[in-house]
Amino acid sequence: MSTVTQPNSIQPNAIQLSSIQLKNISQSFTLNEAKVTLFEQLNLTIKQGQSYAITGPSGAGKSSLLMLMSGLEKPTSGEGCYLTGSQVASLESLRTYIGFIFQQFHLLPELSALNNVALPLKLRGDKTAVSKAIAMLTKVGLSDRMHHSPSELSGGEQQRVAIARALVFQPRFIFADEPTGNLDEKSAGDIANTLFSCCKENNAGLVMVTHSEGLAQRADHIYRLNQGRLLKDSNHNRESKILEAAYVN
Amino acid sequence: MLTKTQGSAAPSSVAGFIMKAGLNFSLAWQCYRQEYHLPHQRLLRWTQAILLIFMLALSQSSESVQHYLTNNLQGLLGADALISQHQPLAATQLASLAKQVDDVAQTQQISINFSHDNSWQYISLKGVDDNYPLQGELLTANALDGVTYANSTGPKVGEIWFDSRLLSRFSLKLGDAVSIASQSFTVTKLLAHEPDRLMEGHNVNMRAMINIADMKQLNFSENLIQYRYLLALDEDNITTLQSWQKQQIPAAEFMHKKGNHPLALFWKRTENFLGLTSILLFFMAAVAIEQLSIKHKSKEQYFAAVCMSLGASYQTGIVVSIIKWCYSLLLLLPIAFILAAATHWLIISHLAESFVNLTWQWHLGLSFSTLGFVSLLFALFYLPVWYSLANSTIASLFTTATSETKQLGQKVAALMVLIIVVFAYSDNGLLTTMMLIAMGVTIALILALSWLTLTLGEKLTQNLSGLLPFVFFMMKQRLVSKSTQILGVGLSAFLLLFTLMLMHDLGKAMSVYQRTHDGNLMVSQATTDQMNYLHQWALDNDISIRQNKAYMHAKLIEVNQQSLKEFAGKPSDSLARFSRDIRMHWANELPSNNRIVSGQWWQNASENWQQVSIEEEVMTDIGLALGDEVSFMVAGKRYNFIVAASHAFKSGNGSITFWIQMPSTAIAHIQATHYHMASIEVSDQQQSLLGNLWQKYPTLRMVSLKEMTARFDSTLAMITTVITGFSVVIILLAIIVILASINAAEAKERKKNSIIMSFGFSKRTCFQLNIIEWLITALIAATGSIVGTYLAGLLIYQSQFSLTYQPDFIWLLGTLFIILASVTSLGIFANKHSLNSSVKQLMTD
Repeated sequence: MSTVTQPNSIQPNAIQLSSIQLKNISQSFTLNEAKVTLFEQLNLTIKQGQSYAITGPSGAGKSSLLMLMSGLEKPTSGEGCYLTGSQVASLESLRTYIGFIFQQFHLLPELSALNNVALPLKLRGDKTAVSKAIAMLTKVGLSDRMHHSPSELSGGEQQRVAIARALVFQPRFIFADEPTGNLDEKSAGDIANTLFSCCKENNAGLVMVTHSEGLAQRADHIYRLNQGRLLKDSNHNRESKILEAAYVN
Repeated sequence: MLTKTQGSAAPSSVAGFIMKAGLNFSLAWQCYRQEYHLPHQRLLRWTQAILLIFMLALSQSSESVQHYLTNNLQGLLGADALISQHQPLAATQLASLAKQVDDVAQTQQISINFSHDNSWQYISLKGVDDNYPLQGELLTANALDGVTYANSTGPKVGEIWFDSRLLSRFSLKLGDAVSIASQSFTVTKLLAHEPDRLMEGHNVNMRAMINIADMKQLNFSENLIQYRYLLALDEDNITTLQSWQKQQIPAAEFMHKKGNHPLALFWKRTENFLGLTSILLFFMAAVAIEQLSIKHKSKEQYFAAVCMSLGASYQTGIVVSIIKWCYSLLLLLPIAFILAAATHWLIISHLAESFVNLTWQWHLGLSFSTLGFVSLLFALFYLPVWYSLANSTIASLFTTATSETKQLGQKVAALMVLIIVVFAYSDNGLLTTMMLIAMGVTIALILALSWLTLTLGEKLTQNLSGLLPFVFFMMKQRLVSKSTQILGVGLSAFLLLFTLMLMHDLGKAMSVYQRTHDGNLMVSQATTDQMNYLHQWALDNDISIRQNKAYMHAKLIEVNQQSLKEFAGKPSDSLARFSRDIRMHWANELPSNNRIVSGQWWQNASENWQQVSIEEEVMTDIGLALGDEVSFMVAGKRYNFIVAASHAFKSGNGSITFWIQMPSTAIAHIQATHYHMASIEVSDQQQSLLGNLWQKYPTLRMVSLKEMTARFDSTLAMITTVITGFSVVIILLAIIVILASINAAEAKERKKNSIIMSFGFSKRTCFQLNIIEWLITALIAATGSIVGTYLAGLLIYQSQFSLTYQPDFIWLLGTLFIILASVTSLGIFANKHSLNSSVKQLMTD
């Protein structure tokens, strides 16, 4: 457990680690003939294997930033790129290497937990999809619930299934939008443990948008988005170690 | 004090009620307006509109024709009452009849082959006495385009009057001499109108009229002549006369001005056949509404939940839902009435070719009763939704998940609607049963095929990579919802295919079949002498007689001592045919083109001659059972038989088959003229030999294949018009079924696509998955519908048309391809909204 919570610990890997780079990014849109600017001239680098939390008030543009980072939306100005070693690619090419976790879980109700997790692998034509899904569900502590449908699972269990589903195809980055927003305190703590430990184990970069200070403090890096500006929380490392110790004990 | 309280409470509760009702109406109106453009509401509206227009147009057209027939009867019977039979009245009977009426006119009519100058034509020859016409006008002319004038009597002895078609056909003119059975006649007038022409019904034969004295000279067999007695009498005496007829001459047909038109039964059957088609339409509507109800119900439940959470009672949700439904129906009425009136006008214009002077007329009372009936059926479709609102607690109302048991209510309601429609409209029990069996088997088949294809597809593609295994996996996981969608599409395709197949195959199969087994000439009636001559004639000219079966005329009058009409109850094809003489065949052994359906065929040379075997469909239509006693009038005498067996047509050994068959030993006990039916193959070179044959025997009834084809073509043209119109309605409903099934699953599809995109896949992948999924859906639906259609063909063609169903596999495969292409395209096109999904939507949900 202590290994998992080590900040900035990058697993030695023969594969070159990737990163996402946003340079001078601005995002704005027009509403009723008025220009609304979400943020301007943002610079940010997301590294594989590390965790990031983005906090800020509602409407600050956190989810939009998440969309930009994941290549789902294009910025109004500035550029983003995906780097692997010396190779530079567009953010759109990142699409196959990322997974999402949502506040509302978004599991397919007609599929069992196992089949929900096996889904991305099956879509990729992986013949060992089921065995990998079983292993992943066991990892998130749901080995005894894998044949249950989402409606038979609690909110926390559904989010565990969603985490397993997002990680099962070993994406390089995980984007999570309020992953514990729909859960009680106890479940939120459990989910946070699962999320961070699984991302570390899979050496996946984790980017979270959250209102939860507790959850944000678990990340390697915290950014606050407010009034169009992204500020890094410089006091974070010390606080996070205290919080981690609390979770471990 | 008490009085005061009561006095004040009453008005306030009334005012409260009115205010509450007003609020409900305005709330329902607001909701109705807001939901107006929602896809599921639009589809519900279309479904209701199509059914309403169809039912209104059908009922209005039927009423117009019925109305026409009633009025027409009064003006075209040519008498106050009429007695018709296949033998003359005995002198005593005629004397007794004359005593009861004011006046009598006699006519005799026979169908003969008239030949002149090496040409021949099948005609109706009518002999009339000097009292004819009794009532109405007998109109003639002196030239083809001449003015018509009324005659007080018919042709004199030696004279013959031809109708214009017959005169033109033989290029004759007034004053020319013609001969029939070696007797000469002079054409003296052009027959324009007979006052009793109505009795001919749909007979389109060319017509000629002679004096009744000449008819006697021609010496035709009595059995071939239709004897009619036109009667003038007081209306009050009609009932007495009818009782006399039932006792004295039970086999005779009795008609009077206050009775039914001879075409009324024909029209009733046509109407009921259209009623059967309405069962199919309601079936499709049920499938569409069942699909839509999932979304509809959850929306209504959500609204009711909101109302209840704001302190309203659960009744409010139901009342608002019912008022909304009333609004949707009321606002549908203007457009439905306009379109139904236009359709009604088109139908009447088409029918005016058969029913002269039939005019468009809107029957207001009927339109309201039809509206009431159809509204009741619509309300039945909605009942499960209202029921679910009435039986839900607040907690259950907030959960929008629909369980399978709740959907069961919708299925039960659909079944009830279908049962009501079947009872209200179908008169052909066997045809309806077969159609329902075919539909039932198709449903079972499609469900089994869905399960089998998806299970096997998933298993077999497990070790393959690509999108196909994923689609099979997803479809298998969603087996229940997918099967319902496939079922909807498959049933629509089945119904469409069946109607198109009827149009395509009926003509083709009939002509091919008759050419193969029956030769090109059918002898429908030949006396024993004529048949002997025909054998010799065939031998002399090297002509092949392929089949030859003997029969006698008989009229079914009673079943189990009850008159046929009382026993049968409902009108049917068989009952309509039994109002005239039928052909009764005798055989010791079961004919090679028959098979036993139930009961037992008699032993060879059985002593028990009073037993019969009756055709399966006749048994069903009339409601006969083995062991029933049936009474026939044969040559004026009554004979009773027990129904010992029921037989059905078996293809491959000729098409001449009989409804009623008795043991050969019976002919020794029944004194009646024997006739024969036969089929002959005559080459083109031998056609000229027929002229001499008909000159010798004018009453020999033969129909050439060409003539049969011509008759069939005109029938087919009418069927084609009806079926084309019906196909359009089916296509519209099929589109609605597909759209409804897509609409029901749209939210799920959208979510699925978004989730797939969240795994790093593009919209293109979702589109490809969509295409594969619709191709599999269409493939299962098309295979199910084609097998269902094939089965329906086997069942219905054989029993209803006595035809072997020979499916055209190229046509079926072509249709399969068209269904695949259409369903897939429509599915992909209608599903495009679900592709407009994104990961962002999942975040904002």
